[in-house]
Amino acid sequence: MPRLLIVEDDDRIRLSLRLALEDEGYTVKDVPTAEEGLAEHRTNAADLVLVDLMLPGMDGFDCIRALRRLGDVPIVVVSARDDTHDVVAALEAGADDYVVKPVAVKELSARLRALRRRASGSGEGAPKTLTFGEIELRPEAGEVLLGDKQVHLTRTEFRLLCELADQSGRVLSRQQLLNRVWGYDVYGDERLVDVHVGRLRRKVERDPANPLHVVTVRGLGYKLAP
Amino acid sequence: MRLPRFRRLGLRARITTVFALGALFLSASLAGTTYQLTRQSLLDERERAAVRAAYFDAALVQQGLGGTEPDLAQVLRSLDTGEQRRPLIRRDGQWFARTADDGLTGSVPTELLTEVREGRPAVQRVHLRDEPALVVGVPLSDGTGYYEVSTLSELSRTLRVLATVLGLVALTTTLAGAGVGWWASRRVLLPLGQVAGTAGAIASGDFSARVPRDNDPDLDALAVAFNRMVEQVSARSEADRRFAADVSHELRSPLQTLSAATSVLDRRRPSLDERSAAAVDLLTSEVARFETLVTDLLELARSDRPAERRPTDVVALTRGVLATRHCPPELLEVTGREVSLGLDPRRVEQVLANLLDNADKHGGGAVRVSLSFCGDAVTLEVDDEGPGVPPDERGLVFDRFARGRAASARGGSEGTGLGLALVAQHVLAHRGSIEVLARPGGGARFRIVLPGGEP
Repeated sequence: MPRLLIVEDDDRIRLSLRLALEDEGYTVKDVPTAEEGLAEHRTNAADLVLVDLMLPGMDGFDCIRALRRLGDVPIVVVSARDDTHDVVAALEAGADDYVVKPVAVKELSARLRALRRRASGSGEGAPKTLTFGEIELRPEAGEVLLGDKQVHLTRTEFRLLCELADQSGRVLSRQQLLNRVWGYDVYGDERLVDVHVGRLRRKVERDPANPLHVVTVRGLGYKLAP
Repeated sequence: MRLPRFRRLGLRARITTVFALGALFLSASLAGTTYQLTRQSLLDERERAAVRAAYFDAALVQQGLGGTEPDLAQVLRSLDTGEQRRPLIRRDGQWFARTADDGLTGSVPTELLTEVREGRPAVQRVHLRDEPALVVGVPLSDGTGYYEVSTLSELSRTLRVLATVLGLVALTTTLAGAGVGWWASRRVLLPLGQVAGTAGAIASGDFSARVPRDNDPDLDALAVAFNRMVEQVSARSEADRRFAADVSHELRSPLQTLSAATSVLDRRRPSLDERSAAAVDLLTSEVARFETLVTDLLELARSDRPAERRPTDVVALTRGVLATRHCPPELLEVTGREVSLGLDPRRVEQVLANLLDNADKHGGGAVRVSLSFCGDAVTLEVDDEGPGVPPDERGLVFDRFARGRAASARGGSEGTGLGLALVAQHVLAHRGSIEVLARPGGGARFRIVLPGGEP
């Protein structure tokens, strides 16, 4: 069973989420502070983390950054705040998805499932290596090389890159990417895509401000250019 | 009757007209006076010259009449009168002229004849063959009268030229007056245009819009007063908004607990007894409604912000919304040239979803969704086959917590009463328009026009 870590200071929310998500088949560990969450993750690494943003002591943003430094565990923010500023800051800090309270358990569970999916294009018959200019993508091995240096991507960043690579130069709209990478079947938040593309560019582009490979097609979406 | 029509003209047209009329009045009266004075002085001078010449000629004629049998024609021929003056002599009731009489004698008025016969010299202005002329009569000895007819055609030509020139000057001055009026009104109305533009921006939710300060103290007062008003209004609206946002925000945390706890209960529904299961159902549906209410309230609290426009494929978005709601794709009709428009996709999606919700709740489900593109705007229509909206309720359906009569009759157990208000707010944020019509064949038709904008 996947191990889920909940970092949430409100006792009642924490308890109710634990009960509901245990019903969904997760082994849940819940803690009220970021510090305890980090300690827990270090000793007993979780497969998924839910983080609230307003926490006593270390706040949610710092908690996400600290978790990112430890590894690429998928992180979902569950917050009552939905200002663009907070959403973007949390995603920039390294969160993979962002849901606003109150979120239905079914919806949250769908988000978590999507983040644990394996990258597409890594199935049978997929080519072992895809090359886009300097970027070398090995879906099966889960590796990305820029030149001859290995680049470390999070699971979500890697899936985003694979989805774009799968299209061999065709454009994917933000909504299509939300559907393929994050599993949204209703209208999703396009900021999610934009921030992740920005993160991806900082890792695989020589000059992220003038990207050569992960390019924006104005009015349409994104594509991966060779 | 004329004043109201004048009022109907714009302020700018009115100012221009007043300037033009003022210039016309001034220039016309100046031109008229100038013409009259010039004409009078020229005429007087001509008259004096004519009289002087007539006296001189009369003296010569008097000398010529000295003999016993004077040849009058010879005397007249000897006068040096040039083209302008024609001499005549009347002696013993008979006219003598240089040439055959061509109506010249007829032009001498009777009063003048009488005056001269009685021994008084006289001058009179007459018309000779449609040309102004001057007749001078000088009495000679023994009842003979000497007359001279001077044509004034040269003078009248001069006066005509003068009148034309003065008329042109008056016309030019009037046009210049209109031009000055147009310029001045533009200058005066410029700040009003800025105020109107700012007010428009504020009406569409941009509370940061301000009227630029002006160097002119008169205009600056307007800018300052207007900006102060905007600040007051936006502060009040911001306070309202923040209150709604705070309330909803505080409701979110307990709602999260309720929602998660309810789902735990709902999962165990099959193992519950009938009464508990019914209670769980009630709880589940009410929690869901409560969630929607809080979400809608929060959304409404910030929906007066300007739309976050980005290039949006409305057709794909609509297809997506219909698909997730398991609506048949044939429901959608698209006309016009499909283009990507600068819209706020999150809001457009909510508009669509709420209209479809509304059709589900009050109209038995949508029967047609249409998108028609025209230029840089898209018109969205959602039709249902329900009872429709009575004309007197059409203005009210977009109010907050306004629910249709039919819904109230059902106890209003569905919906939050905020869906259409939210739709209206989203449309307003796009500077679009919304109306509810009767669908041909029965039912309601919600029509929304969303103009695209710069992302």
